[in-house]
Amino acid sequence: MSTLEYHVLLALSSGPLHGYAVKDAVAADSGGSQTPRAGTLYRVVARLITAGLVRETEPADGRPPHPGLERRYYALTVAGRRALADEAERLKATAAIAAKRLGALRTRS
Amino acid sequence: MTRILACCLWLFPAAFRRRFGRELLVQARRDGRRARRRGRAAAAWCGVMSAIDLLRAGLLERWRPTWHEPAVFSSSEGPRMRDTLEQWGRDFRHAARSLRRSPGFAAVTVITLALAIGANAAIFSVVDAVLIRPLPYGHADRLLFLTATAPESDLPREFGLFDEGFVHYRERSRLVEDLAFYNAYTGTLRVGDRVERVRMSSPTYTLFSTLGATPLLGRLPVAEDESRVAVISHTLWQTWFAGDPGVIGRTYQMDGDPRTIIGVMGPQFRFPTDRTLLWLPDALRAADVRAEVGVGIPAVARMAAGAAPDDVARELTGLSRDLPDRFGGSAPYARLIDRMKIVARPLADEMLGSSARPLGVLFGAAAIVLVIACANVANLLIVRGEGRHREMAVRQAIGARRGQLVRAQLTEVLWLAAGAAVAAMGLARLALPLFLRLAPEVPRLEDARVGAWTLLFTAALALVSALACGLPPALRSAGPSVTSLRDGSRGSTGRRRWVRDLLVAAQTALALVLLIGAGLLLRSHARLSHVEPGYSTRDLFTFQIAPEQAWLKDGPSFARFSLDFMDRLRALPGVESVGLIENVPLDEGTASVRIRTEEMPLDGGVRVGITYAGADYYRTMGIRVLAGRPFTREDAVSALGNVVVSRSAAKRLWPDGNAVGRKLQVGRLKTWETVVGVVEDVIQIDFRQPAQALVYLPMTGQSPDQWALTSPAYVVKTARAETIAPDIRSLVREVAPEAPMYRAYTMSFLAARSMRDLSFTTLTLSMVSLLALILGVVGLYGALSYVVAERTREIGVRMALGARPERVRRMIVVQGGQVVLAGIAAGLIAAFFSTRALGRLLFGVESLDVTTFAATSAAMLLTGLLASYLPARRASSVDPIVSLRSE
Repeated sequence: MSTLEYHVLLALSSGPLHGYAVKDAVAADSGGSQTPRAGTLYRVVARLITAGLVRETEPADGRPPHPGLERRYYALTVAGRRALADEAERLKATAAIAAKRLGALRTRS
Repeated sequence: MTRILACCLWLFPAAFRRRFGRELLVQARRDGRRARRRGRAAAAWCGVMSAIDLLRAGLLERWRPTWHEPAVFSSSEGPRMRDTLEQWGRDFRHAARSLRRSPGFAAVTVITLALAIGANAAIFSVVDAVLIRPLPYGHADRLLFLTATAPESDLPREFGLFDEGFVHYRERSRLVEDLAFYNAYTGTLRVGDRVERVRMSSPTYTLFSTLGATPLLGRLPVAEDESRVAVISHTLWQTWFAGDPGVIGRTYQMDGDPRTIIGVMGPQFRFPTDRTLLWLPDALRAADVRAEVGVGIPAVARMAAGAAPDDVARELTGLSRDLPDRFGGSAPYARLIDRMKIVARPLADEMLGSSARPLGVLFGAAAIVLVIACANVANLLIVRGEGRHREMAVRQAIGARRGQLVRAQLTEVLWLAAGAAVAAMGLARLALPLFLRLAPEVPRLEDARVGAWTLLFTAALALVSALACGLPPALRSAGPSVTSLRDGSRGSTGRRRWVRDLLVAAQTALALVLLIGAGLLLRSHARLSHVEPGYSTRDLFTFQIAPEQAWLKDGPSFARFSLDFMDRLRALPGVESVGLIENVPLDEGTASVRIRTEEMPLDGGVRVGITYAGADYYRTMGIRVLAGRPFTREDAVSALGNVVVSRSAAKRLWPDGNAVGRKLQVGRLKTWETVVGVVEDVIQIDFRQPAQALVYLPMTGQSPDQWALTSPAYVVKTARAETIAPDIRSLVREVAPEAPMYRAYTMSFLAARSMRDLSFTTLTLSMVSLLALILGVVGLYGALSYVVAERTREIGVRMALGARPERVRRMIVVQGGQVVLAGIAAGLIAAFFSTRALGRLLFGVESLDVTTFAATSAAMLLTGLLASYLPARRASSVDPIVSLRSE
C-alpha cells in the first residue's frame, strides 16, 4: 500500500467524503506532506474502488446533493476498513521498531 | 485554462474519463481558484502543474489501468469485476434469475423461437446436403452436362449426344479435358443363387476419370478393358458382398454378360442417380460408331481450368460440323448436324436444379416463419419492457448507463434464444426423419444430417433472432429519462402502441403470404389429382420379369412365353384380366421414332412415341378403344404387321381423320404396318404434360428376328392389387426361376409417386403456413390482450359512465380489425410479387389466382377478428369498481 493510498483510506475512515474533501483531509492528515493533484488522486481512488476497499455512497448526513453541483461521495468498505487497520497496525509495528532502534542508538551515543 | 485541462482529460481511457472526468475537472478548477487568491503567478503555476499531473496520470492510467467499467449493478453491490466478461456473466446470472421469476413468458418465447428456428434448421440440413455441398468430385465446378438441341427438327427440345461425337470431341476439343457418355437402366445381376434386377449404368470407360473419382478398392477401367469389366458401388459391395475386399477379380453375370469386378467406389460416388449400384464400362472406338440419327446419350465433360460453359458449347458445336465429313451418314443426318447446337451447363445445375425450387420455397417459407416468430417475441419483449419501465428508470437514476441497461435486457433475450436453439436442434432431429420419409426422390437427400453445420447455422440464427427481436425493445425501454419516475404511472404506452401494431400487421402480412402460397399449392394438387390420365389407377398391379431361358431367342418365342405366363396369371384367384406393355405409364417413358405414313414424302415423317402392348392391355388398364379393335392373340404370336395408335397419334399422322386401315412405317424399317385400332390417349409419365402421341406395336415386334420383348411389364386387374404380390412371386419362381420379379407396384402407388414432388411441397408448405398462422394469431391475441389490460381503467371509467358492453367490445375488435386489415393489404401486395416463386410447382392455377387470394384473405380476417374478440369480451366484462381500484 502506497502512502497516498493509506492516506485516502485514512481520510475516509471518519466517514463518507466527496472528492475535494478527500484531498483536503489527506493534506491535513499528512501535515501537508501529501497534496495530490486531481489526476493522481483519482487514479488512487479508482484503484481503491477496483480493489473493493472504497465504494461510492450517499453523503453521511443524508443531505441531497446540490442541483447543478454533482458530488460523489466515497466511503470505506468493510474490506477497506480492515485494510486500513492492518496497514495502521503494520505502520505502528514498524514505527515501534524504528523508535526502539532510534532510542537504542540515542542511549548508546 | 479549463479548456486546456479538459483537453488533457482525453489522454485517459474512455472508461476512466466517463467515471471520473467531471470530478477531475471540478477539482482542478477548484485548485485553480484557491491558487488565484495567492496571486496570478501562483494560479498560472497551479494550472501548469495540474495539466502536467493530468497528462502524467492519463498516460499512467493507459499504461497501467486502475479503473474497469463496473457492471450495471456493481455500483451498489461492490466493484469486484475484473473485465467485461465477468460483467456479462453477472448480467446473465441476473437475467436467468429474472426469467425464472416469469416462467410463462420464458416458455412462450422459447417455444415460439424454437419452432421457427427448428423448422429452419431442419430445412437447412436438407438444403445443405442437397444444394450447398459441392458435388463429391474433384474440381466439381469444372464439370459440365452436355446435351444437344436442334430447333426446327422433330427431335425433342434437348437430346443426347451421338456416339461419333464422343470419339470426335475427345480427339479434337481443346477446352474439354475429358468426356464421358453414360446411361441408366435396370439389368439383371446374378451372384451365385442371388438374382435381382438392379439399377446400373453402362458409361464409357472415361466416366470415372472425367468426374475425377478414385476407387475405394481396386482400379478404374481403361480402354483396353473393352466390355469385360465392372465397377461396383459401395452400397452393392456392402449389401451383396458384405464388404469383402476379395471381391476384386471375381466374375459374375451382369446384364447378361460375364464381367470381372475391378473396382469398388466410395460411398460418396453415386452417379447418375443415388440408386445406381454398378457400372459396366464400355470402350467406344472410332471403328464402332456409325453416323446416324440415334437416340442420343447424355454426356458429362470436364472442361479445362478457366474455360466457361458457353465457350465449350461453342467449340463443340463448331467441331460437330465436321462429323458428316468424317463419319459419313445420310442427308437427313447431315441436315440435322448442320442445325445442331451443343448445350453445356454445370453438372451441379443439371443434377440438383430441379430440387432447388421446392427446397427454395420451403426455405423461404421457414425464413418467413422465423420473422413472424421474431416479431411475436419482440412484441412480448416490448410489453415486458414496459412493465419494467420504472425499474429501468430507477437503475438509470442510480447511475446505470444506457449501454448497461440495454445489455442487461439483451442478456435475457440471449438466454431465451439459447434455450430456443437447444430445443430447435432437438426439433430438427425429430423432424428430419419425418421430412425425409415424405420427401420425393432428391439426389443426395439421404446425406442430410443434423450435424455440425446445422448446429452452426442454428446458433447463428438464434443469435440473429435474439438481436433482431431483443435489441429494438431493449433500446426503447432503456430510453426513458429519470423524469418519468415523477409521475407514478405504469409507463407511457400511447407512443409505443404503433410499434406493436406495426409488428402485428407485419405478422399478419407474412402469414397471409404463406397462406396464399399454400392455398395455390393445394389448388394445384386438387387440379392435378383430377387430371384424367386415360386409364384407371385402381385395382391394378404391375411388375416386370426378364426371363433368360435357352429357348427364348426371338420375338415369337418371347411372345409365347408371355402369353403362357399370362394364362397362368389370369388363373390366379381374384384376377380379372391381364395385359402386357413395354413401358408402364407413370413408371417409364417411351422411346420415340420417326413414323412415316403413305401420304408423306420419302424422307418425311414425324417423331412419335412407340411402345409394345399385348393381351388384354387396354381392357385391363381401362383405356377406351375409340375405333377398330385392340390386339388379338394372333397379332401377338405372328408378325401380321398390325398396330394400334393413340387418339393424338391418329390425329397427327392422318389429320383428315379415320386412321383405321391406314399404313405407316416405323423408324428405318421398310415394311408397312396397318392400323387396326385407335385408343384413348394416356398420360405416360407426368400429369402436368399433355398426353403424347403413341403407336402401340404388337408384342412380337415388326418381324420375328427384328425385336423381342425381353423384359415386359405385366398389368393385372384385381381387387387384391395390394396383396397379390406374393402369389405372383411364387408363380414367377415356378415359371422362370432365373428371373426375379421387379418394379412391382400398384398403379395407385405410381400415381401417388408421380405427384410426390407437389404433394411434398404442398404438405410441408401447408404445415409451415399453419405454423405461421398460429404464431400470427397468437401475436395478435397477445397484443390486443395487453391493450385491454392496459386500458382497464379507461374501460372501467367508460362503463361507469354508461358505455354499453357491446360498444366496448366493438371498440377493441375494431382496433384489432384495423391492424389485421392493414396487414392483409400489405400481405396481398407482397403475395402479388412473391407467388411467382412457386413457378412450375403450380398446375392449372395462375400464380395470381383471385379465388385463392380472396379466400385466404377472408380466412385471415376472420381469424384476426376472432383473436380480437376474445380480449374484447374480457374488456366488456370489466367491473368498473374493480378496474378503478386496480391502479
